[in-house]
Amino acid sequence: MAKLLNRIVAFFQKPENVILVMLLLALVYLTIVPLFSIAFDTFTVHSSEVRRIRGSSAGDFTFYHWNYVFNSRSSKNLFYKPLLNTTLVALAVCGFSLLTGGFFAWMVTRTNLKYKKAISTLMLFPYIMPSWTLAMAWINFFKNSSIGGAPGLFSALTGITTPDWVAYGFFPIVMTLGMHYAPFAFILIGGILRNMDANLEEAAVILKASRMRIMRKITFPIVMPAVLSTFLLVFSSSMSAFAVPAFLGGPVRFQVLTTQLFRTLNGVNPGAGYIIASVMIIIGTLILTINQIIIGRRKGFTTVTGKSSNISLVNLGKLRTFISALMLLTLIGISIIPLMTFAFQSFLVEPGNYSLSNFSTIFWVGEGRPDIASGEPGILKNKYIYKGLVNSFTLSLTVAFIAGTVGMLVGYAVAKKRGTKASNMLDRLAFFPYLIPSMAFGAIYLSMFSVRRGIIPALYGTFAILVVVGSVKYLPFASRAGINAILQLGREIEEAAIIFGVKWWKRMLRIIIPIQKPTFISGYSLPFISSMRELSLYILLVTPSTSLLTTMLFQYNEKGWDQYANAIVLLIISIVLIFNLLINKITGSSIDKGIGG
Amino acid sequence: MKVRFVFVVFILLLSLTIFAASPSLITAAKKEGKVVVYSITSRIKNAAEAFENKYGIKVEAYNLKGYELIEKVAKEVGGGIVGADFVIAQDGGRIFGELIEPGYLYNYVPEDMMSIIPEEYQNPLRLSIITKVFLYNSETFTYPPVLNVWAFTDPKYKGRFFFKDPFKEGVNMNFLTMITKPEIAEELAAAYERYYGKPIELTTENAGYEWIKGILENGLVLMKSDTTMAESIGVKGQGIDKIGLCTYSKVRYRETKNLALLPIAAMDPFAGFYYPSYLMMVSNAAHPNAAKLFIEFLLTEEGFEPWAGSEGTYSSNPNIRPHPGDFSFEIWEKLLVGEDPEFLFNNRLDVEEFWNEYAY
Repeated sequence: MAKLLNRIVAFFQKPENVILVMLLLALVYLTIVPLFSIAFDTFTVHSSEVRRIRGSSAGDFTFYHWNYVFNSRSSKNLFYKPLLNTTLVALAVCGFSLLTGGFFAWMVTRTNLKYKKAISTLMLFPYIMPSWTLAMAWINFFKNSSIGGAPGLFSALTGITTPDWVAYGFFPIVMTLGMHYAPFAFILIGGILRNMDANLEEAAVILKASRMRIMRKITFPIVMPAVLSTFLLVFSSSMSAFAVPAFLGGPVRFQVLTTQLFRTLNGVNPGAGYIIASVMIIIGTLILTINQIIIGRRKGFTTVTGKSSNISLVNLGKLRTFISALMLLTLIGISIIPLMTFAFQSFLVEPGNYSLSNFSTIFWVGEGRPDIASGEPGILKNKYIYKGLVNSFTLSLTVAFIAGTVGMLVGYAVAKKRGTKASNMLDRLAFFPYLIPSMAFGAIYLSMFSVRRGIIPALYGTFAILVVVGSVKYLPFASRAGINAILQLGREIEEAAIIFGVKWWKRMLRIIIPIQKPTFISGYSLPFISSMRELSLYILLVTPSTSLLTTMLFQYNEKGWDQYANAIVLLIISIVLIFNLLINKITGSSIDKGIGG
Repeated sequence: MKVRFVFVVFILLLSLTIFAASPSLITAAKKEGKVVVYSITSRIKNAAEAFENKYGIKVEAYNLKGYELIEKVAKEVGGGIVGADFVIAQDGGRIFGELIEPGYLYNYVPEDMMSIIPEEYQNPLRLSIITKVFLYNSETFTYPPVLNVWAFTDPKYKGRFFFKDPFKEGVNMNFLTMITKPEIAEELAAAYERYYGKPIELTTENAGYEWIKGILENGLVLMKSDTTMAESIGVKGQGIDKIGLCTYSKVRYRETKNLALLPIAAMDPFAGFYYPSYLMMVSNAAHPNAAKLFIEFLLTEEGFEPWAGSEGTYSSNPNIRPHPGDFSFEIWEKLLVGEDPEFLFNNRLDVEEFWNEYAY
């Protein structure tokens, strides 16, 4: 007995053990337990369902939801069709982004394209911007008078009325999401192409193989894992997109899983919503697990040897300038036009009237008139907007601080205890939230924390729940950074300090953190930027007093107050861009590393 | 001295005639210094400003969608979270079942208002009646392009009818439920015959369901917002030929947004529908006195001003006259479909399911 006690005491004298045990407990509570809670909720009668399930009372056990979602008159529209739509959208988005991103990556790394640096930088822009900004820009530009009220800029400029399928539904959703994720493909595929040993291709050139043959037999197979990885990541991201389909699909009744999840969880039928969320969690986990296996297989230690002389680039010949200019202009269009439409729309009083006399600053600095947007003051004079701004900032800073710090500790504990069962488990747990689609993740927290559970009071409607959900959801970014940082460091440095009897926290603050500053900073900054532009994770959990800029944007959009929505978008984009620049300046490395130039 | 006395009495009398919240309530409300309201009408922000200026009590007014308000109040009060002090809510059926019955909301009628507000509007306390009517573009058409609701099921008018997404706003589902009520369904059947010149052949339960199915299969456009709908119908210079069942008060944008909007009052068999908005106290209010004062304020002419500036919203206080140029509510009442709580309670789910089968 005494021996055991001694061993326990000895075990807990090592800081990494304390961290490991505490984090394991916390993460099990915050990621695994909620899954049970949500499963339980799919069999429960909720108070808003009492009328729906005749003769039941709230809290009863029921199979109603399962039957309703999978096997009732409403199943087709509630679940099967949205599931099909989600799958089709995700597949099409993958195709689009891989083709676009891959093409651009190949052009930049394998041809004598001009303006490579500018193209590489601009290519990242659609990804830095939140995905729904492109959706809103699309509406501003292409909306038609048959559904969206006033005609958009495109019709105003050309006089052509856009058909419904161009303005709303499947096509624009695929285009905007595809554009948003194309940089993903560009970075991943471009990175491989750039670091690939050119000897292989050179050998083929010497052997007089044709360009096409080289592509087919050498380039493709080497790039394939990156393509697959991109495919899976983009697929799961598209699947969890909410704002884009909500903005673009609504008018033509195009539903996907996330929009149905939102609808059912908002009072109509939460039980069905929790089932949809569970389905999304299962799909998301499967996809990303496959991805991990694929990446894991490639985990050889590919040392980047000295690169052989650069492969001879494809000469674009006479078309060089034309193609380069065309690609550059396309990117400028995609990056700049949206911003212009936001600026434009936020000054227009009468819808669809693009003459100068119709411009007004009322939506920016107006006092609020009852006959325009019901007396809402302009966004720079609007106390609610400031509140949202403060909320967004406070939340993102807190989330970044918690996720970054915990991520660092995870890194420390996992790296120190490498190879033990507990370490592997913590590693997996810290990565687990990444596998769950944002909105479904919001749903499990809604299920877990909207009622009192033991000593934990109901957290719904508090700021704390937003902090918790954000911190856990973005922990994977930070823990990846943390693990890499500590692994790179090697043990000797810290061991030297231990021999000198330096205290643990001093070792952290004086040695480990300073050496690996850039990596840790990215562990803090990624959660910040992600949280700043996040909508679907928070939308189920905010209440009026904890509204964020993004959720307010969604509300303005719902109300049809486009000018306010557009003005807020500009605000959010500015914040995200400014922070991106700041972080690049401070760390000297970009979050979204370019590949060209 | 005497002059001053007379003056004080005069002021007292004056305040009695205009607005007479009890001094003790005002004192208690000022002590709380703040009030939070969730409202389904966005014009609460103007009323909030007037209230702030009058009493120096800070107002946080949040404008929410119908479904959102119910969801937030149920979750907040149910979870013991302090949120709103009072609400301006709509969709009586759901509010009663999901918020009043569990005790999340309770009724409060200001004492001075008991003799003014008609008894039938006192429990739950009504702030106003809101109407939705068929609006058309009065620049494209000199006369209303359609005069019978069955036109929206006619392939000739495919894709030309706007309707607010009933999930976003439950009162629209209430309307759809009401038209399946036998009396109204019969009127619809008669109107069908007047439009198509032959008796209706039912593939569903009654003519109400038949109409719902008809519009859904005829390219019905669902809108998420009445503002967008009003803009989509009324924009000038485009030859817009759409008709929408839209909140009547949106015609207030005629001037500022340069829209051409007119209601079709002679629509057969009904010109739209109406529903009440309710003023209810929240049971865990942090500022109950300020909330009570604000409720009283909203029932007075002064407090109702933001809504009185347009057609389509009618105060429950009979002393507040409708907007000049608008019919009185008594006239609209005959033309529009109302809400029958009991019928809604028993039938809305069936209609919801019916709708889901076709719509979402």
